[in-house]
Amino acid sequence: MNQTSRKTISRRERDQIFDAFGKHISKGQIRYLTAGHLDILEGERDGFRFYEGQSGKSYIDGFSSAGCFNVGRSNPQIIQKLEAAVDDYDMGTYGMLSAPKIKLAKLLADVAPGDLNRVLLCGTGADVVEGALKLARAATGRNEIVSMLKAYHGHSGMSLSANGKDYYKELFVPLMPGFSFAPFGDLEAIRQMVSERTAAIILEPIQGEGGIHVGTDEYLKGLRELCDQYGIMLIFDEIQTGFGRTGKLWASEHSGVVPDMMLLAKSIGGGVYPNGAVVYRDRSELTSYVDRNPEFHLSMGGGTDLGCIVSTAVIEYIVENKVWENVEKMGNRLLDGLRSIQKENPGQILEVRGRGMMVGIEYKQEFMGMLMADCLATHGMFAAYSGNAPQVMRFQFPTAATAEDIDEALAIIRKAIKLSKLYMLALGPLSKIPFVREAMNKGDIMVTINNLLRKVAFWE
Amino acid sequence: MDKLMADAQQVFGKGVVENLVSKGMDWLESGREGSVVCDSNGNELIDCYCSSGTYNLGRKNPAIARALKQAIHETDQGNFVMISREKAMLSEKLARFTPSGLDCSLFTVVRGESVDAACKLARGYTGRTELITVDGGCYGPTGFAMSLSERADKKDFGSLIPDVQTIPFNDIDAAGRSITQKTAAVILETVQTENNCRTADKGYLVALRKFCDQTGALLIFDESQTGFGRTGEKFASDYFGVLPDIMLLGEALGGGMFPFSAMVFTSTVKAFFDAHPLIHLLTFGGHDVGCLVAAAAIKEYDQVQPWQNAKKQGKILKEKLKQLAGSNPKLKSVQGIGLMLSLEFESAQEAEKFCRSAIQQGVLVKSGEVAKHSVVIRPPLTITDQDLDKIVTGIEKALSA
Repeated sequence: MNQTSRKTISRRERDQIFDAFGKHISKGQIRYLTAGHLDILEGERDGFRFYEGQSGKSYIDGFSSAGCFNVGRSNPQIIQKLEAAVDDYDMGTYGMLSAPKIKLAKLLADVAPGDLNRVLLCGTGADVVEGALKLARAATGRNEIVSMLKAYHGHSGMSLSANGKDYYKELFVPLMPGFSFAPFGDLEAIRQMVSERTAAIILEPIQGEGGIHVGTDEYLKGLRELCDQYGIMLIFDEIQTGFGRTGKLWASEHSGVVPDMMLLAKSIGGGVYPNGAVVYRDRSELTSYVDRNPEFHLSMGGGTDLGCIVSTAVIEYIVENKVWENVEKMGNRLLDGLRSIQKENPGQILEVRGRGMMVGIEYKQEFMGMLMADCLATHGMFAAYSGNAPQVMRFQFPTAATAEDIDEALAIIRKAIKLSKLYMLALGPLSKIPFVREAMNKGDIMVTINNLLRKVAFWE
Repeated sequence: MDKLMADAQQVFGKGVVENLVSKGMDWLESGREGSVVCDSNGNELIDCYCSSGTYNLGRKNPAIARALKQAIHETDQGNFVMISREKAMLSEKLARFTPSGLDCSLFTVVRGESVDAACKLARGYTGRTELITVDGGCYGPTGFAMSLSERADKKDFGSLIPDVQTIPFNDIDAAGRSITQKTAAVILETVQTENNCRTADKGYLVALRKFCDQTGALLIFDESQTGFGRTGEKFASDYFGVLPDIMLLGEALGGGMFPFSAMVFTSTVKAFFDAHPLIHLLTFGGHDVGCLVAAAAIKEYDQVQPWQNAKKQGKILKEKLKQLAGSNPKLKSVQGIGLMLSLEFESAQEAEKFCRSAIQQGVLVKSGEVAKHSVVIRPPLTITDQDLDKIVTGIEKALSA
């Protein structure tokens, strides 16, 4: 792509944007992003990539806003529907019904697995988690919630309480009592933790933010049995895994396990308008509570008329185009490619794992995450590393990727690893000293070291 | 219509529909424009509910609608961890728009989320855990917000956020005793819209500010409903002349075209986010399309200055409602300021019955979520004299129904 034909902004304007962002929002975020070479602006965007706002440099989007763009970016079919809807609709009135709300809810019930045919509309992922956990506690009359270590469910009070990483919680305690955390994938361990006091088990069928851990079919089936045995609500947080991301419409389809509640957000908004939903089973504990307490979780910005029109268009697009079929094919190509790269670089890569287009690489050293983000950005790929699991890099490419796109992405990853080895020449010997290694793996110090390295790097 | 309602019963639940029937809200909006919303049959109603104070600039505001249309061709939500022109620009605009001193912002989506963010910021910044609120509050359905709110079904949801203390509203002595060096924050709505528009005394807020300054606790105003002109001033903080450390803005920020809310705060407390940049990053918060829509809404607020009309019409409306109260024993009192007024009835049943009649008479209203025996009147701030007449006539007829 010819870079000069792109619409760009001046250096001065870029600086103004960064100044304003630092002054009014967060200087810390700029510092953190700069360390991973992610201090870039998204300018124009197309299928597989975006172009940096000032330089016009092309970046493959390896993050997709954690899986928000499963219909692509600014999908014309969806933009068109939203644009037309703006003539007739606004957000609507919260708590009231509307044609768009009913239409979306019905469609969700139709496409959701099994007897998941009741709907609670919400506004964001965290809001959806709140709604589901409240419903589980209220419907069962039980207080205990079992979540997973490393789980990520959101930043609001109840969803934060369900996060399995202390990093997100420790500055804000005490949070809600009654939450405990099981090691993901360990059926025996969770068996010891649940009882007739347990209201719900909540998990992501594939942990996203936690570092792409795939729940096996046996594990999920085991959880279902456990829940049935004790009358526990099984909640699948499919906020990242839903809408085709894993190679099926819903991640639960891989195992065939139908949860009691399925949580949806992110891609439900088509990348243009926030929305979210809890889709739950038609079982009497749940439905009778909602019937008696219809306003138990009225979400003000959720299930808006415009949002529901967008979400309906999103589901129609995904189902019509069977988006998951391409994801499965391209996901396999990506996984195969990454496994070859792992074989070529046993010193750098510990493991490659994932399903569909939700794939992660675990590096051998923690500080490799930031280093690789930097090296990937140098070669034209935006990939986010997790600040509190920096040894894992998530790849969530656009779902419409072609074979050429995937091959190009693999080529960039190969080049980036080569470049990271150069860095490692400098850092490697140092990292053998235990206290230095410990320091390097600390987030703050990592940011400082990497920002320094970027200043002196001669190969950029 | 019947088919849709049958579908709704199936997917949302029988109770959801029955509840709407009891409130007279079991219809589908067929049109909306300015201060008017149309029911399933095309009958026009003046929207005096405004989705809990979202439509300060009226339904389907044309300037904001235009901005949304334009925005979706220019950008999309963006990768949420990244810096963007839209976020930076809106944060600058908000800093200019909100009371001086509240220069920093964090963007959220649904009501409640910003309250949760504020509680976290207060705990994180002060290193203290105790959160103090007042009775009668209504902050939203999320974890912290719900823990602070007065709601009957709270017990259904198990153990909520610990270390939350509720003190009596407008009681300076109680506040003086309770706010200590263990207190992270004091959080309240200066006008409790859902609680019969109970309004704080200026002296009370001045005292809270003083106690917070003395102890190092943060003062947080939830302006989700009072903000953007509803009180007759731009913000309730202006109305009372007391500046909080953190202020929460509701959906009026998105002008009713996009779910968008925010927390604004001083640059002093922002130090916490500078030190912990990843601690509260939201996927849909700071949505680039939403930022452009909110920026257009702010421009519209600046141009229209709807607080002026709210002040003028609010005064007239309150006067007329008081006259009605004088001649109608069903109506116990009229409370509130600006265009957030509340009618007090004998019981929740009476209030609900009144809502049903008012809706029949072309005035969309809902009873308060905390004081269910009250009915809140909160039309768009841009209402005309004719709208006001329709509201008064509708209420008068509904009272005698």
